[in-house]
Amino acid sequence: MTRLHVAESDELRRWMIEYITSVLDLPVESLSSSATFDTLGIDSVEAVVMAGVMEEHFGVEIDPMLFFESPSIDAFVAAHGGPPETG
Amino acid sequence: MSASLPVSLVVVSYEMARELARTILSLSPGYQRGCAPADYEIVIVDNGSSRPPAAEDFAHLGAAVRVLRCSRPSQSPAAAINEGIAATRGDLVGVWIDGARMASPGLLAACLAAAALHPRAIVATINHQIGPQLQFHAEDTGYDRHEEDRLLASIGWPADGYRLFEIATSELRAGVRGPMLESNALFLRRTLWEELDGYDERFIEPGGGVVNPDTFIRANALPGTQLIRIVGEGTFHQFHGGLSTSSVRGAMETLRAGSRAYLRRRGRPLAPVRESGWLFDARAQALVS
Repeated sequence: MTRLHVAESDELRRWMIEYITSVLDLPVESLSSSATFDTLGIDSVEAVVMAGVMEEHFGVEIDPMLFFESPSIDAFVAAHGGPPETG
Repeated sequence: MSASLPVSLVVVSYEMARELARTILSLSPGYQRGCAPADYEIVIVDNGSSRPPAAEDFAHLGAAVRVLRCSRPSQSPAAAINEGIAATRGDLVGVWIDGARMASPGLLAACLAAAALHPRAIVATINHQIGPQLQFHAEDTGYDRHEEDRLLASIGWPADGYRLFEIATSELRAGVRGPMLESNALFLRRTLWEELDGYDERFIEPGGGVVNPDTFIRANALPGTQLIRIVGEGTFHQFHGGLSTSSVRGAMETLRAGSRAYLRRRGRPLAPVRESGWLFDARAQALVS
């Protein structure tokens, strides 16, 4: 299975934290990046919405199932952040 | 213009003869309790069906039913809804963006009572789907119209419409106070619909994309409005091969594409209304603290 690269890890993490805290109206410092989306209050519908917004921002097609396979910011960034794969 | 009524219902139909017949029955005087026949009208707006419904189809129900044909039929129901709202006479107008949704028996009376509690009430009913799971699992579970017919027969529908709750799944998975993205039977006073400028017809995507959430979110953002959620009544979606209710993949694609369109149009991400507002217990006819 091809690993989807979304963005550089720090940028992706920063974007996800800003997005989720904005949607949930939470202070950034209160967000645990290891908490599951569900625990944070991002349900499956909102996860799909996040996929669409992430697509608009990064210009990469995001299968919403990726949020269920990697269901936290830490897990998603570990799976889909980092430098682009070469070769 | 004809004299006004307490409430009008706008029901959009498109290629759903089987489902619309049940929906209109569920809104008829013989089924709805606590709302006099003279107090409401039903305006069906057909959005381009190959065989549009006719008012005579519903004559036996004793309801004041009018059928309009949308002058600008399209894959989005937004224009049909706006034409329907413009044609109504009710002081309170409830919009059914999807004519495949049946109502529970006290829904109209509850919405009228709840709307009376605040001059700028946004009365939202809770969406349910018939079946043991949300219908977008149908591909995996084999849920179809035949199974739905069997379920409805199993509760003797329409003898006791409240038994719909026994065979349905709520779309509000976090509970009645949980984040709410939309309501399929949304009641606003006519003046508030006018202030809102109805449904935004720029949402041209199939099914309107996220035009229903957009409308709900915009209504709640109007100054001085009060969200009132109805508890104990609801709408119940019948399986009809709709874009977002037939497969998980279809639901995701519709929502994902919708969220992108929403972001481009509104400049902010689509997000549900998180304030629970007031809860109106329809059975007790009172607010829940």
